Amino acid sequence: MSMAEEPLYPIAVLIDELKNDDIQLRLNSIRRLSTIARALGEERTRKELIPFLSENNDDDDEVLLAMAEELGVFIPYVGGVEHAHVLLPPLETLCTVEETCVRDKAVESLCRIGSQMRENDLVEWFIPLVKRLAAGEWFTARVSACGLFHIAYPSAPEMLKTELRSIYSQLCQDDMPMVRRSAASNLGKFAATVESAHLKADIMQIFEDLTQDDQDSVRLLAVEGCAALGKLLEPPDCVAHILPVIVNFSQDKSWRVRYMVANQLYELCEAVGPEPTRMDLVPAYVRLLRDNEAEVRIAAAGKVTKFCRILSPELAIQHILPCVKELSSDSSQHVRSALASVIMGMAPVLGKDATIEQLLPIFLSLLKDEFPDVRLNIISKLDQVNQVIGIDLLSQSLLPAIVELAEDRHWRVRLAIIEYIPLLASQLGVGFFDDKLGALCMQWMQDKVYSIRDAAANNLKRLAEEFGPEWAMQHIIPQVLEMVNNSHYLYRMTILRAISLLAPVMESEITCSKLLPVVINASKDRVPNIKFNVAKVLQSLIPIVDQSVVEKTIRPCLVELGEDPDVDVRYFANQALQSIDHVMMSS
Amino acid sequence: MDSSVSSNSHGNLDEQISQLMQCKPLSEQEVRVLCDKAKEILMEESNVQPVKSPVTICGDIHGQFHDLAELFRIGGKCPDTNYLFMGDYVDRGYYSVETVTLLVALKVRYPQRITILRGNHESRQITQVYGFYDECLRKYGNANVWKIFTDLFDYFPLTALVESEIFCLHGGLSPSIETLDNIRNFDRVQEVPHEGPMCDLLWSDPDDRCGWGISPRGAGYTFGQDISEQFNHTNNLKLIARAHQLVMEGYNWGHEQKVVTIFSAPNYCYRCGNMASILEVDDCKGHTFIQFEPAPRRGEPDVTRRTPDYFL
Repeated sequence: MSMAEEPLYPIAVLIDELKNDDIQLRLNSIRRLSTIARALGEERTRKELIPFLSENNDDDDEVLLAMAEELGVFIPYVGGVEHAHVLLPPLETLCTVEETCVRDKAVESLCRIGSQMRENDLVEWFIPLVKRLAAGEWFTARVSACGLFHIAYPSAPEMLKTELRSIYSQLCQDDMPMVRRSAASNLGKFAATVESAHLKADIMQIFEDLTQDDQDSVRLLAVEGCAALGKLLEPPDCVAHILPVIVNFSQDKSWRVRYMVANQLYELCEAVGPEPTRMDLVPAYVRLLRDNEAEVRIAAAGKVTKFCRILSPELAIQHILPCVKELSSDSSQHVRSALASVIMGMAPVLGKDATIEQLLPIFLSLLKDEFPDVRLNIISKLDQVNQVIGIDLLSQSLLPAIVELAEDRHWRVRLAIIEYIPLLASQLGVGFFDDKLGALCMQWMQDKVYSIRDAAANNLKRLAEEFGPEWAMQHIIPQVLEMVNNSHYLYRMTILRAISLLAPVMESEITCSKLLPVVINASKDRVPNIKFNVAKVLQSLIPIVDQSVVEKTIRPCLVELGEDPDVDVRYFANQALQSIDHVMMSS
Repeated sequence: MDSSVSSNSHGNLDEQISQLMQCKPLSEQEVRVLCDKAKEILMEESNVQPVKSPVTICGDIHGQFHDLAELFRIGGKCPDTNYLFMGDYVDRGYYSVETVTLLVALKVRYPQRITILRGNHESRQITQVYGFYDECLRKYGNANVWKIFTDLFDYFPLTALVESEIFCLHGGLSPSIETLDNIRNFDRVQEVPHEGPMCDLLWSDPDDRCGWGISPRGAGYTFGQDISEQFNHTNNLKLIARAHQLVMEGYNWGHEQKVVTIFSAPNYCYRCGNMASILEVDDCKGHTFIQFEPAPRRGEPDVTRRTPDYFL
């Protein structure tokens, strides 16, 4: 259909532009390759366009990358799955280029095409391609080959399967570390397609070789394979083959490898089961928590809750908690911050007594940490602790920390605290709130920083929603209205903003009797900015107050503002007046 | 009827402003139309443009778009907050195009709410050396947008006067200027000259030494406290607010509070480690400085040390 809409002339231009000197034009043309193909028809696409693209492979990387991507979805344009193999040659060439992004995209497209190809076509076209790349002279071909085995292998006949496994094993021992890295990172995918008998024999051998590679960048990728392989094996095999490797890795001389282990460890515990976890993995994890490299401790500290969840409370208290205590006064702020972001999750795992006795002191010391990030991470997860230790104990220890953060020098810290206030309010309840936090909420309305004032106005609305209009009538509205005569126009504007946010939450009667008069009064302000904000607030009130109020009070005020000397006041007043007419027409 | 027409004509501009707020530049054609409208507005303004309080006074931005966005998060959005910018929107930072386009778009949309003065970098010669020219070339593929903007810069007012009390300008005073009327009388629509009163207003700096001095910048002069006092007395001024110089705290009083320097590009050139500030003059003419730090950059990790991605 779109062929009819697009005349032939532009197609000729597109084809012409594939050869143009300007890279932008070539790129546009490649991006519209499917349009060209539709215009040419399936047969000419197969016989002319694809061969042309196969030869056109010394272009800029950007063009090649686009080509690699487009070809991945090209099966419909060459006549369907039975012709899919014609797409392989250009992609095979792209698999060998210098630029990694292009190769990766070509491999991705080949996988996409291969997974749709018929079984005998795979044997006839795809597997030979994989073998050619794996035997490629230049390492780029061999790097790409590693990513294709999991597509090639399942449909190969028995003989070929043996050959493919042996080729993969050779790739894992390639002279070039780049090839070994690619083999290591693709091992999990490949292993998932290999029959379990061969898995234990061939694949595990390959894996063990990789784990002893002399390049830490290869070992690193092998660590990633551990969890993937572990999930494919039965628990006893996993204990026999994977566990020792992990324990070794956790003491690797390269901190990057240890960092990787720290990130992956809890997944392995799930694979090996509780007993080996207790015997071997807990000591390994404890070592990582005490690693002398801060990056490793950051990774390990960030997983402390996840790890504890798979242990019994006794084990967690006995082995992990002492390390947590040490980490809470770690010399690196990033370690403490990582710990603070997850430590609250330990409370439900440890239970009430251990939480109060052991965890609470750690919370409190983190709440007083000199770095705001650390303190914020604690406050943001308070609900988890509240459920365990109860509100009284929590509020006693918490309040001083909140007050301090509420006045932090960095406005983003203040902002984060304001954003937690509604959550805290819902957890701590109305009683606690009135006494302590009410004053802070009003103080933020007069912060020097606009974003804080804006957040403070929003906060009042959310509190009114949480505790209801009656409460708001007592604890918010009078305090807010009191500030409307502030000598600074930006602070008066914040009050207007708060009114427009509170009005929909309050009952219409309160809005009309308490809020509206204040807004109308503000329309006589000497600052134009206040006046046009009055117009905006009035516009927001139109849908929520009675029609008669609109006519009697709001419209006359807007008409007057519509004749203000200031152009912006007139503009926003007229906007609001139009919106009255709009509401009237629709009702 | 009238208002519906006006809302349509603003519709496009409102969209462009919200696009610019996301740091996405306009097309060359849009810039051309925008600058035509801006020229009409700016040519009506005086060399000493009167400004009412309340207003928030800001110093150099220098293409640090994300810090300008932070400035609006601190000071409030335009038009709700009134702004007076004292020049140097372009050069040095990576986003001169987006920065100056946004400020000009705000000027066109809300001429009463924002005032934009000329800085010494709003000039053809300087922008060819310090980055704006190259950035236009990079982002548009040709120099047309640079030409459009530098032609517009000629129309920017040189100074502003807040409530007849605070004299605002980019650089400082000039030995050839005694009164504000001297300034009102010359033709500003031209490239910033290498010398003379117009050059001095955009290039001079206050100094601890009395009298006039030779500026190490090679343009403008240095002026002492005696000069500032005399000028303020002659013209019945309370304060000279100016930008032009990096000050570590974001603002800096001088000449016994007769002169203040305001600088609004935090961590200038992404490496100076300075604070930025703005000066709020409220409706009772009270002064409040608000300092701020660089905006957290998108994509920059919270943690300063991450595992290097060296596996490629």
